[in-house]
Amino acid sequence: MAHNRVLQWSTMARTWWLFDAQHQCAFRSASMLIKYLQGKHKPIYHPLSDVGDHVVVINTADVAMREDYWRKFKYFHHTRYPGGFSVTSAWRLHELDPTKVLHKAIYSRLPGNLLRPNMMRRLHLYPNENVPTEILANVSDQIQQIQPIPKRLDQYTEEELASFPKVFDWPEDHVRDPGQTKRKR
Amino acid sequence: MNNGIGRYVCQLQRITLSFCKSHADSRGMRDFIENHLLDFTKANPGVVVYLKPRRHRKPRIMAQYLNGYTESVPLPNHRADEICKWVDLMKTRSGVKVVRLRKMWHTDNPSIQGLWHPFLNKDTSLNIKTFPDKEHYKFEQNEKSATDSLLEKMKTVKLSSEID
Repeated sequence: MAHNRVLQWSTMARTWWLFDAQHQCAFRSASMLIKYLQGKHKPIYHPLSDVGDHVVVINTADVAMREDYWRKFKYFHHTRYPGGFSVTSAWRLHELDPTKVLHKAIYSRLPGNLLRPNMMRRLHLYPNENVPTEILANVSDQIQQIQPIPKRLDQYTEEELASFPKVFDWPEDHVRDPGQTKRKR
Repeated sequence: MNNGIGRYVCQLQRITLSFCKSHADSRGMRDFIENHLLDFTKANPGVVVYLKPRRHRKPRIMAQYLNGYTESVPLPNHRADEICKWVDLMKTRSGVKVVRLRKMWHTDNPSIQGLWHPFLNKDTSLNIKTFPDKEHYKFEQNEKSATDSLLEKMKTVKLSSEID
């Protein structure tokens, strides 16, 4: 039946998902996104069949990490030459390439088999919302975010700030700025 | 109507018969070319037939298909009627490579609800949505945050103070 053949094509078709990484934990969103790259969200999933979807991630420059992990989390590398060992903090790697933290998090969470390079090729990371139109045209659905985006102090209006409940007013001569603490590299 | 969705399209595009003019193992191929080849070409005007005589080489047929696949079948010491069957097989094939099926999948009761596909049970509003969508894919908070509960408490305090 010809109709059945067309249904089969659509069953195996790869769909494109979009994920907004704005203020989302890089590690937890990586664990969530590998499900889509492997195709584990489909009922037809089988580890030997390559049924993963494409995932487009925008705003990777604004990913979040818990506590002070930007300072504490380290990436190790060894060139295999003597003295070739190097340690890079997460914030430093993020400065060099704002897509690299999420890339490494997803790469390390995917299973280390021969499908991994192809799954990584289906991951499209963009530091901001400037995505090529030919990529964005493929997107058919979006993935829900995993944590709330907190409202910054400068996003409140002055009225809201003035009417916000407070127990007491600071005295005029009170120094509230603790000053810049020494940055640890 | 297995071939394509509408009409039948012969998937075989070119067929090459290579043979030797003198060798004994090409005897059947030579017989086929003398007696049956013209009938084949008249019956199949869409198929290009090449004859490729090569000295002291075994006879074989090379079939090239619409999907780009090329199948080669060596046929030394075959009779003309056997070669007729091989050529007919090459003509009626779809051009998909014959591979070993590792598992036999069969069911006497095919699914009533139909095959799954990525757009099954999806909201139809997705069809006209433009991405990225900032509003509908935020994290859904079930519990109130401390700030929200504090602001709500302050509202009730203000209301009660106004009443007093």
